[in-house]
Amino acid sequence: MTSAEAREILLLYRPGTADSAEPEMAEALALARQDPELGRWFEEHRAFQKAISAGFRQIEAPAHLKASLLIRGPARRALVTPQVWWRRPVWLTAAATGLLVLGLAGIWLRPRIPDRFANYRSRMVGEAQLAYRMDLETNDMQQVRQYMASHGAPADYDLTRGLERLQMTGGGRLTWRSKPVTMVCFDRGDKQMLFLFVMKRTAVKDPPPETPQLAKVRQMLVASWTRGDNTYVLAGPEEANFLRKYL
Amino acid sequence: MAARASYNGDNRRGEVDFQILVDLHYAALYRFAMSLTRVESDACDLVQQTFLAWATKGHQLQDTSKVKSWLFTTLHRCFLESRRRSTRFPHLEISGAEGELPNVEPDQVNHLDAQDVLHLLSQVDEQFQAAVALFYLEDYSYNEIASILEIPLGTVKSRIARGLAQLKGLVLRKAAPGAKATGGTA
Repeated sequence: MTSAEAREILLLYRPGTADSAEPEMAEALALARQDPELGRWFEEHRAFQKAISAGFRQIEAPAHLKASLLIRGPARRALVTPQVWWRRPVWLTAAATGLLVLGLAGIWLRPRIPDRFANYRSRMVGEAQLAYRMDLETNDMQQVRQYMASHGAPADYDLTRGLERLQMTGGGRLTWRSKPVTMVCFDRGDKQMLFLFVMKRTAVKDPPPETPQLAKVRQMLVASWTRGDNTYVLAGPEEANFLRKYL
Repeated sequence: MAARASYNGDNRRGEVDFQILVDLHYAALYRFAMSLTRVESDACDLVQQTFLAWATKGHQLQDTSKVKSWLFTTLHRCFLESRRRSTRFPHLEISGAEGELPNVEPDQVNHLDAQDVLHLLSQVDEQFQAAVALFYLEDYSYNEIASILEIPLGTVKSRIARGLAQLKGLVLRKAAPGAKATGGTA
């Protein structure tokens, strides 16, 4: 191996990796120990590699990216490996049947009383995080109101000044304990979404007060308040001045 | 890391938690995306597309120990698609790079930060950039880089060698505008 050939090989040398285990690399390294000129070049090259590598590793992901991935991430149920039903153990099928019966019984026999607001809020945040689906995509609020009214969902909701300034992307009708919920989606302008959920205040035992209450729910920042007949939940990624910006 | 054990230690395909996947890989994927695009919003889009692809197609991956390289491959494919490349990169052999190996003194590179490195990389031939970025960002073997970029091993080494040679030449020029690199620059 000549010095020039060794240089060519050592160019690809990375300390701390398995590269040096390759026979060619080992031979080139041995030559660098013997040849002063090659050795000097190699030392400089290593310093170069270290500096460039350090520069690359300084690249930092923006703070909002992770939250955005998790918020806008697709439905987690899609991540479960689909299994062919006939390959499942019989007892699993039996257990599933049992659970289904119990579940149906629970639904039929459950007391028809309003539930806790915290449960509703958590469910709505889950909708936003996992599988929100807009029934209509539009930036026309009137269209959303008409759609909600025609589908029995709250259409008389008030928008805060902060929300009025945002671009609306659409809306959807959801249900919670058989009660209709209006979902309105807003684009914050930085590729992140805000979700406003509106439901009649009588649907929960303990509606939030008129003054917006801020809470962190499932890695989202959520403001909740009641106005008139409606209770409101606004969910979005964590952000400083959340209340001041959107309420 | 405990989270890693939740899927890396088991080669059978199981449920891979989306949040764990994001936790483990989003930063590295972003660095790679940034190396390719140099634009934060574009890099974020690429990472988003990659995880979206995982959600829709990830279940097809049988060997969960390859999740990370699958994500990198997918991100690179998304990047290529976004660029709508119509021509294939020429296959370059490693020989020929040797004539382009300038000497760079340590004090010429010691003060490079992320922005400097990205700027330098942007000036390297486009066809070498992804290989060079993976070479520095992750401790991938050349075989793994070849697998991620879906190119032959020889091409990977060739691209890295030529890319590094160009990078060195650029560092020299940055350190001393007007100075000539010894051994010639790319």
